[in-house]
Amino acid sequence: MNKPTVAVIFGSRSAEHDVSIVTALASVIKPLELSKQYNVVPVYIAKDGRWFSDPKLKDIQLFSSGAIDEFMRKSKPVALEFGKGLKLIQSGGMRNRSTTIDIVFPATHGTYGEDGTLMGVLEMANVPFVGCDVAASAIAMDKVLSKQQAIANNILTPKFVYFTRHDFARQNGSLLNKIEKDLQYPLFVKPAHLGSSIGITRVMNRNELENAIEVALHYDSKALVEEGVSNLIEVTQPIIGNDNPQLAHLEQPLTQAEDFFDFDTKYMKGGKKGKGGAKTDSRGAQGYSKIPADLPTDLYEKAQSIAVEVYRAVGCSGIARIDMLIDSKSGQVYFNEINPMPGSLYSHNWNKAGVSNINLVTRLVELAIEKHAEKQKIATTFSTNYLKQF
Amino acid sequence: MNAKKIVVDGLLTNYVQAGAGRTILLLHGWGDSAAGLQDLQKKLSESYEVIAVDLPGFGSTQTPGSIWKLNDYAQFVSSFLGKLDINPYAILGHSNGGAIAIHGVSSGLLYAEKLVLLASAGIRDEHKGRKNILRVVAKGAKALTAPLPRNMQDKIKRKAYQAIGSDLFVAEHLQETFKNIVTADVRKDAANVVVPTLLIYGDADTATPVRYGKIFEAAMPYSHLEVVKGAGHFVHIDQKDAVYASIQRFLQ
Repeated sequence: MNKPTVAVIFGSRSAEHDVSIVTALASVIKPLELSKQYNVVPVYIAKDGRWFSDPKLKDIQLFSSGAIDEFMRKSKPVALEFGKGLKLIQSGGMRNRSTTIDIVFPATHGTYGEDGTLMGVLEMANVPFVGCDVAASAIAMDKVLSKQQAIANNILTPKFVYFTRHDFARQNGSLLNKIEKDLQYPLFVKPAHLGSSIGITRVMNRNELENAIEVALHYDSKALVEEGVSNLIEVTQPIIGNDNPQLAHLEQPLTQAEDFFDFDTKYMKGGKKGKGGAKTDSRGAQGYSKIPADLPTDLYEKAQSIAVEVYRAVGCSGIARIDMLIDSKSGQVYFNEINPMPGSLYSHNWNKAGVSNINLVTRLVELAIEKHAEKQKIATTFSTNYLKQF
Repeated sequence: MNAKKIVVDGLLTNYVQAGAGRTILLLHGWGDSAAGLQDLQKKLSESYEVIAVDLPGFGSTQTPGSIWKLNDYAQFVSSFLGKLDINPYAILGHSNGGAIAIHGVSSGLLYAEKLVLLASAGIRDEHKGRKNILRVVAKGAKALTAPLPRNMQDKIKRKAYQAIGSDLFVAEHLQETFKNIVTADVRKDAANVVVPTLLIYGDADTATPVRYGKIFEAAMPYSHLEVVKGAGHFVHIDQKDAVYASIQRFLQ
């Protein structure tokens, strides 16, 4: 029997384009190939949105050396056909070459991928794919929507105010007044949709607040301002599964309350929630976090059960990672944000929980197939007499 | 040392803030970024608040949407300071950062009590003859390489410019702006700079030779030129301690 073909899609028009390359190549493609169960087809979406597929794209050197630019100049992008399953069409001299994709493993981070847009294409193609569906991805990638979803399910989350670029341009002064009235410094200003701490600023006064909002709205058309949590312990919970979520260890990134890690610290130097860090730097996520988190048992379990509540409330499937903030004095656990495609799959944590990289990716592919099979049971077409009346 | 972001005149701007006390603003040269001045910043931050900004198109600051002139850079620095509500005690500029500082202070866009100019650029017609010859050569080369594929042409062009030591390809995305900058002469501006100014040039600098320092010293009524032995254009890196000691003395 032929091995099923798995397409791993990565890159895309996102601030986290480069992080996605590392996730795809190191944490998805390599273990999938080592499992010997699949044909693995890399699909790279360039920063300009063109899609490429070629075995050469499995080599990190192509990207790290900058040879990718030359590759793209010489190669033809692939076209997609998704009327009846997903096919990649490579136009050739005499005739086109088409590759049928059995399962898709999206390994994109941020916009035009992790945010549900890519899942929309895959759902149209009716192809099984790893991870959250359109709705869960879109909610997860919008910090405002995911917080609102948490609140609707009685899950605590830090107090916040949100607004659009338009709101801010129109009522700058009164909006700042409202924020200062409703919330207490220190505050965190965040773009609504970006991951990886991009555009997030911690502010202590009105002038900083105003400048930080401008920065956040430079990255996004929607932003939120959120209260900080005192006596802070940050934790994050990787989860896989569909209807029966399976948990890795609760992980505690090692940061101080005053400390704030930006993109460079987090990724370039392999900092705490290092997406690429876990793979590219031995001091990566492991070096900057405690696995399992050093918490009293009841608090540890409370955080884990809240993570599962969030996973369910947002409607996640396949994989996600839930970030939470704990006030160590009051013992309150606040939902912070949810990441539907954790960088490098958070495999360092799964490894410690006894799940190897190969087991992790093959399990995720199985979950994708299960979810897809489940979905096929739902009737989507009906015979009606509706048209007869015209 | 703390990297921060702010939006200045619509451009997402990166700057690094360190230390406390009276504020010194650092302006880097063409093709460089705030990171190029970080050792100096670290040292100075022991006694001052030191802010090093990535100028538009360099480091992590956005590239301007249009072609800029030297005055646009000075205007940008002015807006940046306004936004942070900072009146700097001193402005320190290296190379093109020096030219921006001279133009900015002279035109009233920028104000500081003291100026430090490291290997400052801004004297632009010294190589006129040489430039004209190069222009002719470049035109000829363009005709010769015309039949070659585009990327080969670019490669040859890049090599040729590297060979003659031009900065045109240092920041390829700013080529047109670069042409404006290298032709902006600030000698006349220098005469309007009436704040105490320390000029530091390396005796082995070929990009902005000591001769430039002498021209500025003659033009600026309250300036003083120091020539550092054994230092090239990156005088603050080549002779760290000597340059730092001079600056520290001057600022006290």
